[in-house]
Amino acid sequence: MLRIKKYFSGLRASGAEVLRDPIQRRKFLKYLLIHLVMLAVSLVFIYPLLRIFSISLRPGDKLFSTDLSLIPDNATFVAYASLLKDTMFLRWLWNSLLITLATSFIGVSLASTAAYAFSRFRFPGKKAGLILLLSSQMIPAGMLILPLFLMIMKLKLMNTYLGMIIAYSVSSLPFSIWILKGYYDTIPRSLEEAALVDGTSQVGAFWRIILPLSTPALSIAFLFNFTTAWNEYLVARVVLFSSKQYTWTLGLFELQGQYITQWGMFAAGSMLVTIPVLAVFLYSSKWLISGLTLGSVKG
Amino acid sequence: MEILKSIYEVAGFIVLIALGVAALEGYFYYHFKCHDRAWFFPVALAAFPAAAVVAAAAILGDYQFRLWFYFLAAEALIAAAFRYAVKGRHTVPYLLLAPAFIGLALLLVYPFVFEVYLSFHDLKLTTIMMWKNTGSLPFVGLRQYFDVFTTSPLSEVTFWALLGRTLVWTFTNVFFHVAGGFALALLLNNAIRFKGIYRTLLVVPWAMPQVVAVLAMRGEFHSQNGFVNIILAKLTEVFPFLVSLGVGPVQWLSDYPLLTCTIINVWLGIPFMMVVILGGLQSISSSYYDAADIDGASYFQKLRFITMPLIKPVLMPAVTLGTVWTFNNINVIYLVTGQAGGTEQADILVSALYKAAFTYNRYSYSAAFAIVVFALLFFISVTYLHGFDAAKEER
Repeated sequence: MLRIKKYFSGLRASGAEVLRDPIQRRKFLKYLLIHLVMLAVSLVFIYPLLRIFSISLRPGDKLFSTDLSLIPDNATFVAYASLLKDTMFLRWLWNSLLITLATSFIGVSLASTAAYAFSRFRFPGKKAGLILLLSSQMIPAGMLILPLFLMIMKLKLMNTYLGMIIAYSVSSLPFSIWILKGYYDTIPRSLEEAALVDGTSQVGAFWRIILPLSTPALSIAFLFNFTTAWNEYLVARVVLFSSKQYTWTLGLFELQGQYITQWGMFAAGSMLVTIPVLAVFLYSSKWLISGLTLGSVKG
Repeated sequence: MEILKSIYEVAGFIVLIALGVAALEGYFYYHFKCHDRAWFFPVALAAFPAAAVVAAAAILGDYQFRLWFYFLAAEALIAAAFRYAVKGRHTVPYLLLAPAFIGLALLLVYPFVFEVYLSFHDLKLTTIMMWKNTGSLPFVGLRQYFDVFTTSPLSEVTFWALLGRTLVWTFTNVFFHVAGGFALALLLNNAIRFKGIYRTLLVVPWAMPQVVAVLAMRGEFHSQNGFVNIILAKLTEVFPFLVSLGVGPVQWLSDYPLLTCTIINVWLGIPFMMVVILGGLQSISSSYYDAADIDGASYFQKLRFITMPLIKPVLMPAVTLGTVWTFNNINVIYLVTGQAGGTEQADILVSALYKAAFTYNRYSYSAAFAIVVFALLFFISVTYLHGFDAAKEER
């Protein structure tokens, strides 16, 4: 018991010492309290996810039970099977993947060169350009959906991949440029200068030296573009209207909309899309956050 | 087969974009390199408007003679600008920036300008066919703006009610995000075991796809099957006296939609603030606290006089960002209330804007509405940032 206490409190002293010394005892109680609070809060924070998991395992006749246990009685994967068989879930995932990959590719390519210009050159309009990038973040999200919708309609691209790619492609551009500029700024100029002395052009130096060195930042920008487009709902709702062309967000909303029959499939689908996103996010969160605070810390 | 077809479609589009970018770079390269040649103007004025007219005909599907004049005038202006103002300087940075900024101009600036245009005209379900065929719309001046302040964007709720609700919504959410995030970050900043595990568990709401998180929570607020009501019911079973205090299962989605949305959004937003604040806390040097300990400062004194001032430069931008995000948060409210039979008791400005445009099809009205909301948000952000700069000067 005392061993366990020592383990949890992170103290060096042995259990008996902890209880004898009043200062140590206070410290122990403090850590115990912190752990209790942390455990309770963590539980509240991940409980909805656990619930989806447990609902996705329920057999069809138990969907509406008020059972709160994590693994229900007679747990089955029936919901997963029928999701993959009876709905177009795989097709929705494929649509999302295609649209998202294309937009991320376009977004990162455009951002990588623009950020290089902002990082290495002085030119008239530089400050104005950076301010434009920042202030574009203040435009309400819903505001540009209407004109984009009308443009896509006019171009006859409603309900197509291309319409979605066009609508998404620049939405993460300002933020990507911002992240990449911050990263390029940390690469010493002497590397390029050496390459220039050796006879390559400025563009060659960018292509052969800077881009390979920036792989981490490029992958973060790619991930950011990817998650933004992958999780988008509002534009898709407006542009896509046949269920064959749906992205997974629309598909899940539809499954949950028909609440009574599809609750289990909704839960199964949610699990299938959440787990990879969660893994990628947790893996990359450190860099994403440093990207978010980059501008502010330097300021 | 269909999969192959979709790959061809998207890959073809990307190739098209690459070709477009190459053409664009060639266009600008010509202007940078040849601006002082004798044949610069004749070649530019002959070649580029023609190419632009062909491209426009390919994209729009019909040939419009008047486009010649627009493109000719535009090209004359651009060519003159390159010969007399730019003069071939800063070639490399401008060529590097061109694709991104043309993209932003087409998909961010142009839609914005188009929104302003729409707000002075009358586009609705009855005039949209006319607009599709002829491209022109009746001009109505400021009437849409007048309507924004006098009529309801949905069926009954007014602009002023929405404004008040939005301010309350933003303030409540940001307050709980910062308070919750701060408390959790302070706890996590202790030298405790399993810190990494706690941190990982606590960012789950932020890391989940928002659509899944909100829809799942919406299900959990269902009156019979949601765990919120199940727990409330169990509580009242165990402690019957709670019933007399008014505690018990409630019809969350129909009776308290805004409260439900707020709870969901607080749950979603705390992790971001926690992570940002934790980063700030970890960057504070421990020597400040050691010095304060020697002076005999209490925990709250240290919090007030060391932590607070030092965390401010990290906190202020995060709060600004959080305010803008919360103000703009259509997702939570639309996903909770947006279906047929959904209530409008929970709508804030931006979700009403979205519904006015796409549920009620009042396009021009919602354009004017959007401009008003943008002006408001711009004003709030500038005030915030101004305060932030002032705080920085002080430091």
